[in-house]
This record gives sequence, structure tokens and C-alpha cells, in this order.
Amino acid sequence: MAFPETHERETRTLLSRHMGEEEARTLDGWRERGGYGALEKALEMEPDEIVTTVKESGLRGRGGAGFPTGVKWSFMPEKGDDPHYLACNADESEPGAFKDRELMRWTPHLLIEGCVIAARAIQAEHVYVYVRGEFFEVIRILNRAVTDAYEAGYLGEDILGSGWGCDLTVHVGAGAYIAGEETGMLSSIADGRAEPRIKPPFPAQSGLFGDPTTVNNVETLSSVPMILDNGADWYRQWGSDDSPGTKLWCCSGHLNRPGNYELELGMPLKDIIHDVCGGVPEGRQVRAVFPGGSSTPILSRDELDCETTYEGLSEAGSALGTASPIVMDESTCIVRAMRRVAHFYAHESCGQCVQCREGTAWVTKILERIERGGGEMEDLDTLYDLCEQMTGKTICVLADSVVFPLESSLDKFRDEYEAHIKHDRCTATA
Amino acid sequence: MSDEVELHPAVAGAQPYMRAETQGENSAPEDAPLFDDGAGRERLEKVLSRYPTRRAALLPLLNYAQERNGWVSRPAMKEIAGELDLTPAYVHSVATFYTMYNQRPVGKYLIQVCTNISCDLCGGEEVLERFLEETGTRPGETSEDGLYTVMEVECLGACGFATVVQVNDEYYEDVTPERVPEILDELD
Amino acid sequence: MPEEENSDLVSLTIDGVEVQVSEDSTVIEAAEKAGVVVPHYCYHPGIPTRPAQCRVCLVEVEGQDKLQPSCKLPVQDGMEVHTDSDDAELARKSVIEFLLVNHPLDCPICDAAGQCMLQDYAFETGQLQSRLNEEKLVMGRDRIADDILYFADRCIICTRCVRFMREVAQDDSLVVAQRGDRAYIDTFPDEDLDNPFQGNIVDVCPVGALVHEDYLFKARAWDMDKTPSICPGCSNGCNVTLDTKENQIVRLKPRYNGEVNSYWMCDYGRKHLVMGNRGVRTEVPLVRQGGELEPMDWSDALAAVGERLGGIEGGSAVVSPDACNESLHYFRRLLDTLGVPADAGSYRVEQGEEHTLPGFPKLTLREDRAANGTGADLFGFRRVESWPEPEPGAPLFVLQETLREAPESYAEDASFFLYLGSHLSPAARRADAVLPVTTFAEMAGTFTNHEGRVQRFQKALQPPGIARPAWMVLSGLLARSGDGSPVLDAADAFGEMTDERPEMAVLNWGRVGLKGQTLDSGAGAEAGAGAR
Repeated sequence: MAFPETHERETRTLLSRHMGEEEARTLDGWRERGGYGALEKALEMEPDEIVTTVKESGLRGRGGAGFPTGVKWSFMPEKGDDPHYLACNADESEPGAFKDRELMRWTPHLLIEGCVIAARAIQAEHVYVYVRGEFFEVIRILNRAVTDAYEAGYLGEDILGSGWGCDLTVHVGAGAYIAGEETGMLSSIADGRAEPRIKPPFPAQSGLFGDPTTVNNVETLSSVPMILDNGADWYRQWGSDDSPGTKLWCCSGHLNRPGNYELELGMPLKDIIHDVCGGVPEGRQVRAVFPGGSSTPILSRDELDCETTYEGLSEAGSALGTASPIVMDESTCIVRAMRRVAHFYAHESCGQCVQCREGTAWVTKILERIERGGGEMEDLDTLYDLCEQMTGKTICVLADSVVFPLESSLDKFRDEYEAHIKHDRCTATA
Repeated sequence: MSDEVELHPAVAGAQPYMRAETQGENSAPEDAPLFDDGAGRERLEKVLSRYPTRRAALLPLLNYAQERNGWVSRPAMKEIAGELDLTPAYVHSVATFYTMYNQRPVGKYLIQVCTNISCDLCGGEEVLERFLEETGTRPGETSEDGLYTVMEVECLGACGFATVVQVNDEYYEDVTPERVPEILDELD
Repeated sequence: MPEEENSDLVSLTIDGVEVQVSEDSTVIEAAEKAGVVVPHYCYHPGIPTRPAQCRVCLVEVEGQDKLQPSCKLPVQDGMEVHTDSDDAELARKSVIEFLLVNHPLDCPICDAAGQCMLQDYAFETGQLQSRLNEEKLVMGRDRIADDILYFADRCIICTRCVRFMREVAQDDSLVVAQRGDRAYIDTFPDEDLDNPFQGNIVDVCPVGALVHEDYLFKARAWDMDKTPSICPGCSNGCNVTLDTKENQIVRLKPRYNGEVNSYWMCDYGRKHLVMGNRGVRTEVPLVRQGGELEPMDWSDALAAVGERLGGIEGGSAVVSPDACNESLHYFRRLLDTLGVPADAGSYRVEQGEEHTLPGFPKLTLREDRAANGTGADLFGFRRVESWPEPEPGAPLFVLQETLREAPESYAEDASFFLYLGSHLSPAARRADAVLPVTTFAEMAGTFTNHEGRVQRFQKALQPPGIARPAWMVLSGLLARSGDGSPVLDAADAFGEMTDERPEMAVLNWGRVGLKGQTLDSGAGAEAGAGAR
């Protein structure tokens, strides 16, 4: 059973505080740890007050885009006759990311509590927690917790005698990365195929079943109870002004101590790699890092000083994404790594937009050919052209997700691509 | 964890599947019905009670088909279509969008090896090779004894514990090629 | 396109051209009005949803960072749109290149060549092939319906066919299966489409992915002549184009008429006419002389018939509900001249099952399987289940009814039997005079559909032999007895008809145009979809 590694620079007091504690999974164990206290507080508050508190905390969406959560909630229209919905995005599937799984495995009630508070804030009567299908262990744990929460009156009609209630349903995916895209998820629940659709209308206007809907990530919702418990100012003592709080980092690849770490936003990326994760094995050097999951532009060894805030990584030409650095040491062939990433997105394209459907597959074929030998220098120009035409031209950003890492790798490791083409094999890792 | 006493409707559409009890020689026949008995009807009603439309129950019921039969056969798709007022073609469209719905029976042990970037960096492809070698199969093919189906799978969301292998409904973490025979031995 | 009268107008510019459109228009519609055709695949004006997924209609809008899909983008007052900016043109060209990644370059054997929107845009953008150095994905072909084949490799997944079936035919039997570049169009495995309107999916396919097996390799698009016409399959009067080659009808394609059939037609209509071409045609006038039907030229034949008619009073008549208004008009005039009682003329209409297109209910395959039953009513012919046996010893006049289904002994005892028809059935051979007339495809004229819409069809084929339109023959015959002069032009025939018929006075040949005009359209009312 894996649970987050600990490190002295971690802020284990917040999200990950109870990870590793079997009893925290149970309702009693959770209550003993102060669980559902925030919900009791929220039930005393008006929905607007909850929204305001979360807005003031500066909490930003943890699903990758980093949009301020309270602001997103405030986009929901005034409650009328139409139902409102909350969809919790638990379809964690960005390569490199594995934090929501851990959160749900260890602290399912934290998520449920966050969901109910958020539902009250946006006046939703039903929460759908969309869990990726492969997470069978998570699903068992979550199902148990949901069943218990219903029994204890934290879910259902008239929650804790407040006169207000909401339902929560666990909805399970079946193997489609694109179901993690906001509108793709709503399509998946309502219609079946997880095909993203064009915005506007935004989900807050017309979402699930055509009704106002907010979609929030597991980590985002799991951060809400502590903010309600302790207040916005308390939360802001961690992180920066624009990126307050802590974040669960998912560190993978060539690391001595890969795993989840809860870190204050802002620590330099190189410290996460070399200090928290113990550096790369066998004293090798870092070659490149995807700092925020496989869809973020890669950073080379000499770009790792950047601060790990939303703004810091953006300044470095990349993105915080899901805070999932994938570290590649000097034994890594960049062409192969990019081929593997491109292959994934080609496999996961829903197939609606031409640039994405054809482009992701084409890029993959070119990279495969370069990798196995048979590449030509013109291929690099073609790749650049394809990157340009796959950027910002489609309904969702899946195509862009290939472009970000690929284009940055072409910029930063062009010599490796050229050598690979010239010698029909990787020379960088020889 | 204790067994569920009574299935709460909130989780009725979200029951785990991919189990040895329903796969390989235990796979249900193609025409095994889904909703002809009390259990099936009850599940259907519970699932439907959670959604404002019948169509939204589609994934939950495909999950149920796989949970009950080990795979999603054409007759099962038709039966689901009938219950949800959809056409069989529509159900086919949705079922083929996803990778987890087996449209033919699989081995008793469905072994899915992640070879995505984090796992690949840690030897995912070698782990896959080793599983194929040990089971004497090609990707997606079921071994002659009906025990194993080995497949490459995209990111399983446990990248810090590479290589990740999913065997039926369970994750194996930090798998190396050397551990493969041991894992297979434990299975049967 | 939304009717502009119903809502407020906004002004915007498309490539510098200012246009005014209703505020609920999208940019692609505004562009069309400005005379700019924005390439598009997934957008089809007759299919309600706009997934904006083909991404070829991207345009640049001032003030917006990203290119926008013009099919989905609502117009705004003061919007400045560029379809011809460098970015928009490059994006369009690249979409063609992406599509050509897996699309085979099999135009020489593709049925869609010459009417393919991928081919068109490839030439337009100069993007004739993709730089792909890899192998193309090969998926093969599949049967979608008993007469429709699907070539998956040519498919560009625009989903028009799926959305036509889902939203217009409201039959969710055609879907996208799989995803990504493995996606393809499919029915439920081993089950074909079975819908009376499914042929439209072939028409909406912008490439050659869906083809009618009947037409497979039969004709190249550029080898066919196209003539605006009316489907004679039932009384709905769907507007169609007749595709002809070597003086044969190859197929019918629906032609837009927002008041009748939108962009669609039924499968019965598609097949009916092509099948109906069978049988022995009349080619020259035949007049019975000494017991035998003797061929004659028109002048002699009309003289001979005129002479015989001179001594005739009364009798009965049978008309085909497929005869056009003009022919029925002159036929009625002839019958009046001969003193045939008004109620002694009848017609029979073949009946069939009714099918309505749910997404456009005005398009219904009507029970009446004939084009002009309404016209026959208008000219006072009586609708019957089966033709009354002609009174023995009395004259019989038949217009265009083939009498194929007439009893063996039909008209045996007629004192004089005049047959104006296009086919020579056994019963027709009994006539004293056979005057060969053209089918609707070989002439111009009008039909009146089930709701009183009078619609024009044009001449698409050369008639066999010396056959002529019935209205021409009849007006010639009448002229011989001093009743008017021979009419040689359909417009003139129409003019005489509307002059003489008060209930048709509102009609005007020009106004009927290509979209028709209803009998209750008061003076000044615009017909149908107006100028479209």
C-alpha cells in the first residue's frame, strides 16, 4: 500500500494529513479527526457566504487550469426552478498525475464533505462524482464512504436537520481520458460518448442535462472543508498571493523517491526534484522535466530554478498543470519520450475535430519513424507546422496537449532530434 | 472492508467489475440476460432513480453488464437499449468509445500493463514484454488455457509507483520484469 | 436560413463587404449573404445541430485571439470577419491536409469525384495531398443498408449522415463507433439501416464515403446533365434534380424547397422513376386503318383523328394522375367540345403506405402515389378506385393512363378509342388511334401537389421518336376544329390555362419559377421560399 512519502519540507498538516491512516477512511475515524465539522458550519451559512469565503481564500482549481474556485462558483445563475448540479471530476488520467486517487483512497469523507459544502454554495441538489473506471480500489472505498455518509445523514434529504439536502451519486467511467475534460465529462454522463462540446454555452449556463452545472476537481473540493473550518486568511498563510495554499505534487519518472508530496506552492522545482524526491537515481543528471503532467511544455535541466506557482511556471514557459513533474534523466531518449506522449493523446482523441483526430495520429507516426530510424530533416519542419495548426483550433485542448510538450522539445532538444535522424538511432543516450 | 449489506442506490451504478469469477471459463454466455431476475431489476431501478434521464444510466448499466457477465455482448447491448429507450446502435456507439468494455470474453486474468510515459521511463515496455512471454500470448489475445489476456494500457493514474500493472480489479505497483513470474504464480 | 423578417437585423462585414442579417444568424450564413462561401463539412443547413467539429469553416474575427468556427458563431452588430486572412486560409488549407492524411487518393474510381467537397476545397486551397510519409490507415468498406455502401477510408467523420438520421429522420440507427482516428460510421453490427428516408445520407455525405450501390461506377458527376424537376412518386411534389446521362435518368437528387421537401426526398421517390422507365414506348402516331394500327406523321394522324372526332358526341374518359396540368387542361377542353359529360372522366391513384419525415413533416411520402391527383381533381376528373367499364358502343378517351392494369377486355366495345400515352400496353393497342406523348421528364409543364402548390418541371430527356407533350398534341387537335391555335411552348400552354381557369388566375409562370406557387397565394404573395 503506497501512501505519500514524507519529507521535512512537506506541509502535511492540510490535505494529506490523514493519509496512511486506515481509520481515517471510516466514518467514525473521520469524525474523530474533526470530519464533517466544516459541513456543520456550512449548513449555518448562506450559500453566498460560502462562495465569498472560498473566493477570499484564493483557492484555484486543482484539475490543471487553475481557475479560481470561488469565482467559478459565482458564475452559477440565481437558483430558480431548474436543478443545479455539481460534477466532481475524479477521472484523474493526465499522465503523471496520481493525487486524486490517493485523496480518495485515504480520505473519501473529506471529498464527500467538500462536495456537500460546494453543492450548498452553488445550490446543487445532486452531485455526481465521476471516477475513472480503472480505480476499482478507490471506487470500493468511496462507495463505502458514500453509503455510510447517507446513513449518518450527511447526504440525502434534510442534511443534519438543516432543512436542506443534496444527493451524491458515484458515476464510473470506462476508460477514456477525454472524459476528464469538463464538457467531455458532462457528455459522458448525460449522453454516453465523452465528446467535448463547444463553449459557450458554459456549463454554468447549460451543463449536465442542460442545467447549470459546476465541475470541480477532487483536490479542489477536498481543499474546501479546511478553508471553511479555518477561514480564508488562515489558508492564505501558505503559498503566494496568486497561488495560495498547498498542493499535492505527483512526482514520477527517474527519481529516487517518487510519490505524492503536499507542498506549499512556490518551492523551486529543482528543490522538489533534488531535495524532496532525492534527485535522480545513480547520480545521473536530469535531462528534462514535464513540470505539470505530460501535457505541459518540458523544461530542460537549466530551467529548474523556477518557482512552482501558477505564475512562476507560466513565466518559465510552462504550466503548473496538475503539479505532476515527470522527471527524465540523461538515459532518456527525448524522441521516444515524445513519441510515447503523442501516442497517448492520439489514443485518447475523441475524434471529432480534424486537427486533433488526424494530427495526433500523424505526429505519432512521424515520431515513431524518427525513433526507429528513417526520419528526415524535413520531418522537423513538418512537426513544427503541425504543431502550429493543432494549436487553438479545436473544441477542446487535447490537440494542444501534444503540441505543448512536442514543440518545447523541438525547441530545446533540436540537436537530439537531428542526431537521431542522422544516425537513425538515439545517440544522446548511448 | 465488510461486504455491502444492501446496495445504496447512490453507488448502484458504480460497482467494481473485472473479476476472475466472471472471466475466462467463468464468462457468461453471449445471450445471458441482464434484467430477467430480481437482482437485475433491482439494480436497474436503483440506477435509474439517480438520473433525470434514462439515457444517463447507459454507462452504469454497461458497467453492470460487465460486472455480471464479464463482458458486454451484443444481446446485452440490445437489452440495455431496450430498457433505456435507446437504439442498439446508440449503445454500440457508446460502448466502443471506451476501452474497458470487453466486447468479447477475456481471460480469467486480464493483465493490463501501463506503458505510458512515467511507466515507460521505469521499464514499462519490458514488463509488458515479460508478461507476454510468460503467458505465451500476443497483446489482446487470450492464452489457450483461457487464463490470461495481456494488454498494453494507457496511464492508470499511479505514476509514482511505476511500472503499474492492473490485474483484473487490482493494481500492482513498482512492477519490474523480474517480479512478473511471481505475480503470475500468485494468481492461480 | 432564418427568415430575416422575423427578427431584428444586425450589420457586420465579411471580408470588407457589409451585410445585414437577422440577429439569430451565424457568421457562415451572413457570409453566404455577402457572397462568400466559407468551406464547411459538418455544417449542413438542413441538419439542426452544429457540432463545429470539422474546423474547416474557421474565420478570423477582429478582437478575438483564436479563429472561430463560423457555422456556430452568432453574428454581432459591428463584427468584422475575415475569411481570407492569412491565418484563416492557412488553417483551412491545413484541415484539408489533415483530412488527406488518411483519405485515399482514389478519385479516379470514386463516385463522388466531381461533386466532392474535399476535392473541391483541395483544389481551391492548392492542398492536393498530405505530406504524410507513413502508411495510410486502411479500414475498408461496409454495407450500411441494402443499397448503401460505406467506404470508411474516404470518410471524414463530419457526422452529417449520423445527424441526419438522428435529428431529421429521428431514427438513431446510424452512429459513430470507436474514437480518434479509428472512428467510423456504423449501424448495430449485422443490422442494416431500414428507413424510408435513408437515401439522404448519401446526398449529405460531402465526400464519397456513402454511395448508392445502384449507382456505383455508373456515371461520373461531370458526365451527367442536371435538370430541375418534380418527383412524380407521390403527391408531395418534392423538388428534385434529374441527373441524366445518354438520355437516361441515372438518379434523382432532392432540390431545396423550404415549403415542400427542404433538402430531402424519400427513397421510394428515388427508385420509383428509375424503375418506371420500363415498358414499350409509343414513338409515332398510330391510326387504325383496315383493322391495323398504321404509323403516320403528326399532320396525317391529327387530320385522321380530327375527322373521326367530327361525328362524335359524348363518351367517357380516363386520365392519369401523372398527366400535367396543361395537358389535363387541353384534354378537358377537348372533352367539353365533344360533349363528354363532366362526370364521365375519371382517374385512379395507386395507393401506398404513408411515411413522414419527422424532422420535416411537410415531406411525407403520401398515400397517393402520383404527382398530379390534385390537378386531375381541379380539372373535374372523378377519383375512382377502379375505372368504370366504358359504356359499350360509346367513345373512350384516355390521357396518359397506361391501362397496364386494365382488364383484358377493357374498351373492347368502344365505338371510338383515342389513346394519348407514352407506353403501349396491351389494352392501349386496342385503340383506334394512339398518339405518342412524352413523359414528364421529356417535357416542361406543371404539377399541382397535395396542398395546391403548382410547381414547374423542365425537360430533361429527348423524347423517343416523334412523341410530343400531350398539351401540344391536344392544342393542335383543337386548333384543327378552329378552337384556338396550336401551342408549342409550355409557358404559353400554362398562360392559356391560367387565363381560362379562374381558380388558377393567381398563378404566374415566372412566379411559379423553381419553387412553385400555391393556388391560395393571393395576388402579390410571394411564393414559397422566395428568391432562394
